[in-house]
Amino acid sequence: MTDGTVWTWTVQRFPPKSPPYEVPEAGFAPFAVGYVEVADGARIEAVLDVEDLSSVHIGMRLRIEEAEGRVPHAREVL
Amino acid sequence: MSVHIVGAARTAFGRSELTGRDHGVHAARAALVDAGVPWSRVGAAFGGSDAAGNADTLVADLGLTGIPFVNVRNGCATGGSALLSAVNAIRGGMADVVLAVGFDKHPRGAFDPRPADWGLGEEYGREGLMVTTQFFGMKIQRYAHDHGITPRTLALVAEKAYRNGARTPEAWRRQEITAEEILASGMVNDPLTRFMFCSPGEGAAALVLCSAELARELGADSVELRSAVVRTRPPGSFEVFSPRLDPGEPTSVSTVSAAAAFEAAGIGPSDVDVCQLQDTESGAEVMHLAECGFCAHGEQEKLIAAGATEIGGELPVNTDGGCIANGEPIGASGLRQVYEVVTQLRGRAGARQVPGTPRVGFTHVYGAPGVSACTVLAR
Repeated sequence: MTDGTVWTWTVQRFPPKSPPYEVPEAGFAPFAVGYVEVADGARIEAVLDVEDLSSVHIGMRLRIEEAEGRVPHAREVL
Repeated sequence: MSVHIVGAARTAFGRSELTGRDHGVHAARAALVDAGVPWSRVGAAFGGSDAAGNADTLVADLGLTGIPFVNVRNGCATGGSALLSAVNAIRGGMADVVLAVGFDKHPRGAFDPRPADWGLGEEYGREGLMVTTQFFGMKIQRYAHDHGITPRTLALVAEKAYRNGARTPEAWRRQEITAEEILASGMVNDPLTRFMFCSPGEGAAALVLCSAELARELGADSVELRSAVVRTRPPGSFEVFSPRLDPGEPTSVSTVSAAAAFEAAGIGPSDVDVCQLQDTESGAEVMHLAECGFCAHGEQEKLIAAGATEIGGELPVNTDGGCIANGEPIGASGLRQVYEVVTQLRGRAGARQVPGTPRVGFTHVYGAPGVSACTVLAR
Protein backbone atom coordinates (compact mmCIF):
# COMPACT_ATOMS: atom_id res chain seq x y z
CA MET A 1 0.00 0.00 0.00
CA THR A 2 1.23 3.46 -0.94
CA ASP A 3 -0.33 6.79 -0.04
CA GLY A 4 -0.50 9.60 -2.54
CA THR A 5 -2.58 12.39 -4.03
CA VAL A 6 -4.57 12.60 -7.26
CA TRP A 7 -2.41 14.24 -9.96
CA THR A 8 -5.07 14.01 -12.64
CA TRP A 9 -8.30 12.12 -13.18
CA THR A 10 -11.26 11.53 -15.45
CA VAL A 11 -14.46 9.51 -15.34
CA GLN A 12 -15.06 6.69 -17.82
CA ARG A 13 -18.65 7.56 -18.67
CA PHE A 14 -19.27 5.03 -21.46
CA PRO A 15 -18.72 1.25 -21.40
CA PRO A 16 -15.36 0.40 -23.00
CA LYS A 17 -15.48 -2.11 -25.86
CA SER A 18 -15.97 -5.77 -24.84
CA PRO A 19 -13.77 -7.67 -25.27
CA PRO A 20 -11.36 -6.84 -23.78
CA TYR A 21 -13.48 -5.02 -21.17
CA GLU A 22 -15.26 -7.32 -18.73
CA VAL A 23 -18.57 -5.77 -17.74
CA PRO A 24 -19.23 -6.17 -13.98
CA GLU A 25 -22.07 -8.52 -13.00
CA ALA A 26 -24.19 -5.59 -11.86
CA GLY A 27 -23.73 -3.97 -15.29
CA PHE A 28 -21.56 -1.08 -16.40
CA ALA A 29 -21.38 1.91 -14.11
CA PRO A 30 -19.15 4.97 -14.74
CA PHE A 31 -15.87 4.75 -12.82
CA ALA A 32 -13.03 7.13 -12.07
CA VAL A 33 -9.49 6.62 -13.31
CA GLY A 34 -6.47 8.77 -12.66
CA TYR A 35 -2.81 9.13 -11.86
CA VAL A 36 -1.85 9.17 -8.20
CA GLU A 37 1.34 11.00 -7.27
CA VAL A 38 3.41 9.15 -4.67
CA ALA A 39 6.29 10.23 -2.38
CA ASP A 40 9.08 10.20 -4.99
CA GLY A 41 7.00 12.28 -7.41
CA ALA A 42 6.14 9.41 -9.76
CA ARG A 43 2.52 9.15 -10.86
CA ILE A 44 0.83 5.75 -10.96
CA GLU A 45 -2.23 5.07 -13.09
CA ALA A 46 -5.04 3.55 -11.03
CA VAL A 47 -8.76 2.95 -10.95
CA LEU A 48 -10.07 5.34 -8.30
CA ASP A 49 -12.54 3.43 -6.13
CA VAL A 50 -14.34 6.38 -4.59
CA GLU A 51 -17.86 6.43 -3.18
CA ASP A 52 -18.87 9.66 -4.88
CA LEU A 53 -17.52 10.36 -8.39
CA SER A 54 -18.24 14.08 -7.99
CA SER A 55 -15.83 14.22 -5.04
CA VAL A 56 -12.74 13.39 -7.14
CA HIS A 57 -10.34 16.32 -7.45
CA ILE A 58 -6.66 17.04 -8.00
CA GLY A 59 -4.89 16.84 -4.63
CA MET A 60 -7.36 14.32 -3.16
CA ARG A 61 -5.59 11.89 -0.81
CA LEU A 62 -5.80 8.25 -1.82
CA ARG A 63 -4.14 4.96 -0.94
CA ILE A 64 -2.96 2.72 -3.78
CA GLU A 65 -3.43 -1.02 -3.44
CA GLU A 66 -1.72 -3.35 -5.87
CA ALA A 67 -2.55 -7.01 -6.43
CA GLU A 68 -1.32 -9.56 -8.95
CA GLY A 69 -3.44 -9.68 -12.09
CA ARG A 70 -5.24 -6.39 -11.36
CA VAL A 71 -4.44 -2.82 -12.30
CA PRO A 72 -3.61 -0.63 -9.28
CA HIS A 73 -6.68 0.57 -7.38
CA ALA A 74 -6.76 3.61 -5.10
CA ARG A 75 -9.18 4.22 -2.24
CA GLU A 76 -9.95 7.15 -0.03
CA VAL A 77 -7.85 7.40 3.13
CA LEU A 78 -10.32 7.41 5.98
CA MET B 1 17.96 21.94 -51.95
CA SER B 2 14.52 23.42 -51.56
CA VAL B 3 11.53 21.18 -52.21
CA HIS B 4 8.22 22.47 -53.54
CA ILE B 5 4.69 21.15 -53.44
CA VAL B 6 3.27 21.53 -56.94
CA GLY B 7 0.11 19.48 -56.59
CA ALA B 8 -2.23 18.92 -53.66
CA ALA B 9 -5.59 17.22 -53.28
CA ARG B 10 -7.91 15.63 -50.76
CA THR B 11 -11.15 13.71 -50.89
CA ALA B 12 -14.37 14.34 -48.98
CA PHE B 13 -13.87 12.89 -45.49
CA GLY B 14 -16.57 11.11 -43.50
CA ARG B 15 -18.32 7.84 -44.25
CA SER B 16 -19.25 6.48 -47.67
CA GLU B 17 -19.35 3.27 -49.70
CA LEU B 18 -15.79 3.89 -50.91
CA THR B 19 -12.87 1.85 -49.62
CA GLY B 20 -9.90 3.63 -48.07
CA ARG B 21 -7.93 2.60 -51.13
CA ASP B 22 -10.55 4.19 -53.45
CA HIS B 23 -9.99 7.44 -51.57
CA GLY B 24 -6.24 7.05 -52.10
CA VAL B 25 -6.62 6.60 -55.86
CA HIS B 26 -8.93 9.62 -56.14
CA ALA B 27 -6.60 11.86 -54.13
CA ALA B 28 -3.47 10.77 -56.03
CA ARG B 29 -5.11 11.37 -59.42
CA ALA B 30 -6.44 14.76 -58.35
CA ALA B 31 -3.03 15.83 -57.01
CA LEU B 32 -1.42 14.88 -60.35
CA VAL B 33 -4.04 16.87 -62.26
CA ASP B 34 -3.47 19.82 -59.92
CA ALA B 35 0.29 19.59 -60.54
CA GLY B 36 -0.18 19.22 -64.28
CA VAL B 37 2.13 16.20 -64.43
CA PRO B 38 1.21 12.71 -65.64
CA TRP B 39 1.78 9.67 -63.41
CA SER B 40 4.44 8.52 -65.90
CA ARG B 41 6.53 11.55 -64.86
CA VAL B 42 6.55 10.51 -61.15
CA GLY B 43 9.83 8.84 -60.19
CA ALA B 44 9.05 7.57 -56.70
CA ALA B 45 6.09 7.39 -54.32
CA PHE B 46 5.62 7.06 -50.57
CA GLY B 47 2.37 6.46 -48.82
CA GLY B 48 0.30 4.49 -46.42
CA SER B 49 -2.71 3.86 -44.30
CA ASP B 50 -3.14 2.58 -40.78
CA ALA B 51 -6.10 0.30 -41.40
CA ALA B 52 -6.92 0.30 -45.11
CA GLY B 53 -4.10 -1.65 -46.72
CA ASN B 54 -0.88 -0.97 -48.55
CA ALA B 55 -0.42 2.17 -50.62
CA ASP B 56 1.74 0.48 -53.27
CA THR B 57 -1.37 -1.36 -54.51
CA LEU B 58 -2.41 2.01 -55.99
CA VAL B 59 -0.14 1.28 -58.99
CA ALA B 60 -2.87 -1.03 -60.33
CA ASP B 61 -5.01 2.08 -60.88
CA LEU B 62 -2.40 4.78 -61.43
CA GLY B 63 -0.33 2.77 -63.91
CA LEU B 64 2.35 0.08 -63.90
CA THR B 65 5.30 2.39 -64.52
CA GLY B 66 7.62 0.30 -62.37
CA ILE B 67 8.65 3.08 -59.97
CA PRO B 68 9.62 2.40 -56.35
CA PHE B 69 6.50 2.83 -54.17
CA VAL B 70 7.34 2.57 -50.47
CA ASN B 71 4.64 1.71 -47.94
CA VAL B 72 4.71 3.80 -44.78
CA ARG B 73 2.87 2.83 -41.59
CA ASN B 74 3.71 5.19 -38.77
CA GLY B 75 0.46 5.82 -36.90
CA CYS B 76 -0.57 9.47 -36.85
CA ALA B 77 2.80 10.36 -38.41
CA THR B 78 2.13 8.22 -41.52
CA GLY B 79 1.57 11.28 -43.72
CA GLY B 80 4.48 13.15 -42.16
CA SER B 81 6.79 10.18 -42.63
CA ALA B 82 5.73 9.81 -46.29
CA LEU B 83 6.43 13.51 -46.76
CA LEU B 84 9.82 13.33 -45.09
CA SER B 85 10.72 10.37 -47.32
CA ALA B 86 9.59 12.30 -50.41
CA VAL B 87 11.79 15.26 -49.44
CA ASN B 88 14.79 13.00 -48.94
CA ALA B 89 14.14 11.21 -52.24
CA ILE B 90 14.27 14.55 -54.07
CA ARG B 91 17.28 15.85 -52.13
CA GLY B 92 19.10 12.53 -52.52
CA GLY B 93 18.55 12.50 -56.27
CA MET B 94 16.40 9.37 -56.24
CA ALA B 95 13.68 11.10 -58.25
CA ASP B 96 12.75 14.64 -59.29
CA VAL B 97 8.97 14.25 -59.07
CA VAL B 98 7.58 12.38 -56.06
CA LEU B 99 4.09 11.49 -54.84
CA ALA B 100 3.15 11.33 -51.14
CA VAL B 101 -0.26 9.87 -50.35
CA GLY B 102 -2.15 8.91 -47.21
CA PHE B 103 -5.58 7.29 -46.89
CA ASP B 104 -7.65 5.38 -44.37
CA LYS B 105 -11.00 3.99 -43.37
CA HIS B 106 -11.82 3.01 -39.79
CA PRO B 107 -14.80 1.30 -38.19
CA ARG B 108 -17.18 3.42 -36.09
CA GLY B 109 -16.43 4.29 -32.48
CA ALA B 110 -13.27 4.75 -30.45
CA PHE B 111 -10.11 2.90 -31.46
CA ASP B 112 -9.74 -0.35 -29.46
CA PRO B 113 -6.09 -1.26 -28.99
CA ARG B 114 -4.98 -4.53 -27.38
CA PRO B 115 -2.96 -4.44 -24.13
CA ALA B 116 -0.32 -6.91 -25.39
CA ASP B 117 0.50 -4.61 -28.33
CA TRP B 118 1.43 -1.95 -25.75
CA GLY B 119 3.43 -4.22 -23.44
CA LEU B 120 0.66 -4.17 -20.83
CA GLY B 121 -1.03 -7.00 -18.93
CA GLU B 122 -4.49 -8.21 -19.94
CA GLU B 123 -5.91 -6.60 -16.78
CA TYR B 124 -5.62 -3.17 -18.44
CA GLY B 125 -8.12 -4.34 -21.05
CA ARG B 126 -10.35 -6.30 -18.64
CA GLU B 127 -10.69 -3.34 -16.27
CA GLY B 128 -11.44 -0.79 -18.98
CA LEU B 129 -8.23 1.24 -19.16
CA MET B 130 -7.45 0.63 -22.87
CA VAL B 131 -9.48 3.66 -23.89
CA THR B 132 -7.62 6.48 -25.67
CA THR B 133 -10.20 9.12 -24.79
CA GLN B 134 -9.44 8.61 -21.06
CA PHE B 135 -5.91 9.80 -21.67
CA PHE B 136 -7.07 12.93 -23.51
CA GLY B 137 -9.42 13.72 -20.62
CA MET B 138 -6.67 13.23 -18.04
CA LYS B 139 -4.07 15.29 -19.91
CA ILE B 140 -6.30 18.35 -20.35
CA GLN B 141 -7.71 17.92 -16.82
CA ARG B 142 -4.25 18.47 -15.34
CA TYR B 143 -3.32 21.16 -17.87
CA ALA B 144 -6.55 23.07 -17.18
CA HIS B 145 -5.82 22.91 -13.43
CA ASP B 146 -2.24 24.17 -13.85
CA HIS B 147 -2.93 26.85 -16.46
CA GLY B 148 -6.47 28.04 -15.85
CA ILE B 149 -8.25 26.67 -18.93
CA THR B 150 -12.04 26.61 -18.50
CA PRO B 151 -14.62 24.23 -20.03
CA ARG B 152 -15.98 27.23 -21.93
CA THR B 153 -12.64 27.56 -23.78
CA LEU B 154 -12.75 23.86 -24.69
CA ALA B 155 -16.25 24.43 -26.08
CA LEU B 156 -15.13 27.49 -28.08
CA VAL B 157 -12.41 25.42 -29.78
CA ALA B 158 -15.00 22.86 -30.94
CA GLU B 159 -17.46 25.60 -31.92
CA LYS B 160 -14.79 27.10 -34.20
CA ALA B 161 -14.04 23.66 -35.66
CA TYR B 162 -17.66 23.14 -36.73
CA ARG B 163 -17.91 26.74 -38.00
CA ASN B 164 -14.80 26.24 -40.18
CA GLY B 165 -16.02 22.78 -41.21
CA ALA B 166 -19.24 24.37 -42.47
CA ARG B 167 -17.11 26.46 -44.85
CA THR B 168 -15.06 23.49 -46.09
CA PRO B 169 -16.74 21.49 -48.89
CA GLU B 170 -14.77 18.28 -48.15
CA ALA B 171 -15.27 18.34 -44.37
CA TRP B 172 -17.40 15.70 -42.64
CA ARG B 173 -19.12 17.78 -39.94
CA ARG B 174 -20.54 20.80 -41.73
CA GLN B 175 -23.21 21.84 -39.27
CA GLU B 176 -22.44 24.71 -36.93
CA ILE B 177 -22.86 23.82 -33.25
CA THR B 178 -22.88 26.41 -30.48
CA ALA B 179 -20.61 26.34 -27.43
CA GLU B 180 -23.69 25.81 -25.23
CA GLU B 181 -24.74 22.75 -27.26
CA ILE B 182 -21.18 21.42 -27.11
CA LEU B 183 -21.05 21.79 -23.32
CA ALA B 184 -24.44 20.06 -23.02
CA SER B 185 -23.65 17.21 -25.44
CA GLY B 186 -22.89 14.71 -22.67
CA MET B 187 -19.69 14.08 -20.74
CA VAL B 188 -17.51 11.38 -22.32
CA ASN B 189 -14.32 11.59 -20.27
CA ASP B 190 -14.31 14.59 -17.93
CA PRO B 191 -13.81 17.43 -18.76
CA LEU B 192 -14.43 16.51 -22.42
CA THR B 193 -17.92 16.21 -23.88
CA ARG B 194 -19.08 14.28 -26.93
CA PHE B 195 -18.92 17.17 -29.42
CA MET B 196 -15.39 18.08 -28.31
CA PHE B 197 -14.02 14.86 -29.84
CA CYS B 198 -13.19 13.90 -33.42
CA SER B 199 -14.30 10.51 -34.74
CA PRO B 200 -12.39 7.92 -36.74
CA GLY B 201 -13.55 8.19 -40.35
CA GLU B 202 -12.34 7.83 -43.91
CA GLY B 203 -10.58 9.93 -46.51
CA ALA B 204 -7.34 10.58 -48.36
CA ALA B 205 -4.92 13.36 -49.23
CA ALA B 206 -2.03 13.44 -51.70
CA LEU B 207 0.79 15.78 -52.65
CA VAL B 208 3.11 16.00 -55.65
CA LEU B 209 6.57 17.32 -54.81
CA CYS B 210 9.59 18.35 -56.85
CA SER B 211 12.69 20.52 -56.77
CA ALA B 212 12.40 24.32 -56.91
CA GLU B 213 13.99 24.33 -60.34
CA LEU B 214 11.51 21.88 -61.77
CA ALA B 215 8.61 23.72 -60.11
CA ARG B 216 9.69 26.84 -62.05
CA GLU B 217 10.00 24.87 -65.29
CA LEU B 218 6.50 23.47 -64.82
CA GLY B 219 5.22 26.98 -64.15
CA ALA B 220 3.44 25.47 -61.18
CA ASP B 221 1.46 27.38 -58.53
CA SER B 222 3.82 25.96 -55.94
CA VAL B 223 4.43 26.25 -52.21
CA GLU B 224 7.83 25.66 -50.68
CA LEU B 225 8.07 22.90 -48.10
CA ARG B 226 10.63 24.59 -45.85
CA SER B 227 10.88 21.67 -43.46
CA ALA B 228 9.27 18.32 -42.66
CA VAL B 229 10.20 16.73 -39.35
CA VAL B 230 9.16 13.59 -37.48
CA ARG B 231 10.16 12.96 -33.85
CA THR B 232 9.53 10.25 -31.25
CA ARG B 233 9.02 11.07 -27.57
CA PRO B 234 11.67 12.39 -25.19
CA PRO B 235 12.03 11.02 -21.62
CA GLY B 236 9.34 12.18 -19.19
CA SER B 237 6.46 12.78 -21.61
CA PHE B 238 2.88 11.92 -20.62
CA GLU B 239 1.50 9.42 -23.13
CA VAL B 240 -1.52 7.21 -23.66
CA PHE B 241 -1.48 3.74 -22.04
CA SER B 242 1.31 4.51 -19.56
CA PRO B 243 0.99 2.74 -16.19
CA ARG B 244 3.41 5.32 -14.75
CA LEU B 245 4.62 8.86 -15.39
CA ASP B 246 8.09 9.81 -14.16
CA PRO B 247 8.57 12.64 -11.62
CA GLY B 248 8.85 16.22 -12.86
CA GLU B 249 7.01 18.52 -15.24
CA PRO B 250 5.95 16.40 -18.25
CA THR B 251 7.88 16.99 -21.49
CA SER B 252 6.29 17.00 -24.95
CA VAL B 253 7.27 15.42 -28.25
CA SER B 254 5.27 18.15 -30.00
CA THR B 255 7.58 20.77 -28.49
CA VAL B 256 10.62 18.87 -29.73
CA SER B 257 9.18 18.29 -33.20
CA ALA B 258 7.90 21.85 -33.70
CA ALA B 259 11.19 23.39 -32.54
CA ALA B 260 13.13 21.17 -34.96
CA ALA B 261 10.79 22.09 -37.83
CA PHE B 262 11.17 25.82 -37.14
CA GLU B 263 14.93 25.54 -36.80
CA ALA B 264 15.27 23.65 -40.09
CA ALA B 265 13.03 26.19 -41.81
CA GLY B 266 14.83 29.22 -40.39
CA ILE B 267 11.45 30.65 -39.44
CA GLY B 268 9.87 31.11 -36.01
CA PRO B 269 6.34 30.63 -34.68
CA SER B 270 5.74 34.40 -34.75
CA ASP B 271 6.17 34.37 -38.57
CA VAL B 272 3.32 31.90 -39.08
CA ASP B 273 0.14 33.23 -40.74
CA VAL B 274 -1.96 30.05 -40.67
CA CYS B 275 -1.57 26.77 -38.85
CA GLN B 276 -3.05 23.32 -38.42
CA LEU B 277 -2.66 21.69 -35.01
CA GLN B 278 -3.64 18.18 -33.96
CA ASP B 279 -7.09 18.47 -32.42
CA THR B 280 -8.09 14.94 -31.56
CA GLU B 281 -10.27 16.79 -29.06
CA SER B 282 -10.59 20.43 -28.02
CA GLY B 283 -8.04 20.16 -25.23
CA ALA B 284 -5.37 18.99 -27.67
CA GLU B 285 -5.63 22.16 -29.77
CA VAL B 286 -5.37 24.29 -26.63
CA MET B 287 -2.26 22.48 -25.36
CA HIS B 288 -0.60 22.21 -28.77
CA LEU B 289 -0.82 25.98 -29.27
CA ALA B 290 1.63 26.35 -26.38
CA GLU B 291 3.60 23.14 -26.94
CA CYS B 292 4.37 24.20 -30.52
CA GLY B 293 5.53 27.64 -29.38
CA PHE B 294 2.66 29.89 -30.46
CA CYS B 295 1.91 31.21 -26.97
CA ALA B 296 2.82 30.79 -23.32
CA HIS B 297 1.07 28.11 -21.26
CA GLY B 298 -2.20 29.55 -20.01
CA GLU B 299 -2.36 32.37 -22.55
CA GLN B 300 -4.82 30.33 -24.63
CA GLU B 301 -7.70 31.19 -22.29
CA LYS B 302 -7.50 34.87 -23.32
CA LEU B 303 -6.41 34.31 -26.94
CA ILE B 304 -9.28 31.97 -27.77
CA ALA B 305 -11.89 34.16 -26.07
CA ALA B 306 -10.58 37.12 -28.13
CA GLY B 307 -10.94 35.17 -31.40
CA ALA B 308 -7.20 35.01 -32.14
CA THR B 309 -7.46 31.49 -33.57
CA GLU B 310 -10.45 32.26 -35.83
CA ILE B 311 -10.01 32.54 -39.62
CA GLY B 312 -9.94 36.35 -39.33
CA GLY B 313 -7.81 36.30 -36.16
CA GLU B 314 -4.16 36.91 -35.43
CA LEU B 315 -3.25 33.21 -35.81
CA PRO B 316 -5.91 31.19 -37.63
CA VAL B 317 -5.85 27.57 -36.41
CA ASN B 318 -7.48 24.58 -38.15
CA THR B 319 -9.10 26.63 -40.88
CA ASP B 320 -10.73 23.54 -42.41
CA GLY B 321 -12.25 22.49 -39.10
CA GLY B 322 -9.35 20.20 -38.16
CA CYS B 323 -9.88 16.64 -36.98
CA ILE B 324 -13.01 17.64 -35.05
CA ALA B 325 -14.87 18.58 -38.26
CA ASN B 326 -13.04 16.25 -40.68
CA GLY B 327 -12.72 13.13 -38.56
CA GLU B 328 -9.47 11.28 -38.27
CA PRO B 329 -8.58 8.80 -40.98
CA ILE B 330 -5.15 8.24 -39.43
CA GLY B 331 -3.11 7.77 -42.62
CA ALA B 332 -4.66 10.80 -44.31
CA SER B 333 -4.84 13.27 -41.45
CA GLY B 334 -1.32 14.76 -41.62
CA LEU B 335 -1.43 15.28 -45.38
CA ARG B 336 -4.92 16.78 -45.09
CA GLN B 337 -3.34 19.47 -42.89
CA VAL B 338 -0.62 20.14 -45.46
CA TYR B 339 -3.22 20.26 -48.23
CA GLU B 340 -5.14 22.87 -46.24
CA VAL B 341 -2.11 25.09 -45.68
CA VAL B 342 -1.06 24.79 -49.35
CA THR B 343 -4.61 25.79 -50.34
CA GLN B 344 -4.51 28.77 -47.97
CA LEU B 345 -1.09 29.96 -49.17
CA ARG B 346 -2.26 29.67 -52.79
CA GLY B 347 -5.28 31.81 -51.90
CA ARG B 348 -7.69 29.14 -53.08
CA ALA B 349 -9.56 28.44 -49.84
CA GLY B 350 -12.81 30.14 -50.87
CA ALA B 351 -15.22 30.80 -47.99
CA ARG B 352 -12.58 29.85 -45.41
CA GLN B 353 -9.70 31.84 -46.96
CA VAL B 354 -7.49 33.57 -44.41
CA PRO B 355 -7.51 37.27 -45.34
CA GLY B 356 -4.39 39.30 -46.14
CA THR B 357 -2.38 36.89 -48.32
CA PRO B 358 -0.89 34.45 -45.80
CA ARG B 359 2.70 33.57 -46.66
CA VAL B 360 3.86 31.13 -43.97
CA GLY B 361 2.06 28.05 -42.69
CA PHE B 362 2.67 25.32 -40.13
CA THR B 363 1.23 21.85 -39.61
CA HIS B 364 1.44 19.56 -36.58
CA VAL B 365 0.25 16.06 -35.79
CA TYR B 366 0.60 14.22 -32.51
CA GLY B 367 -0.23 10.61 -31.84
CA ALA B 368 0.37 7.49 -29.83
CA PRO B 369 2.76 6.31 -28.50
CA GLY B 370 4.43 9.74 -28.48
CA VAL B 371 5.13 10.71 -32.08
CA SER B 372 4.84 14.10 -33.71
CA ALA B 373 5.27 15.31 -37.29
CA CYS B 374 5.51 19.00 -38.21
CA THR B 375 5.98 20.98 -41.41
CA VAL B 376 6.74 24.60 -42.21
CA LEU B 377 5.48 25.86 -45.57
CA ALA B 378 6.13 29.19 -47.27
CA ARG B 379 5.08 31.03 -50.36
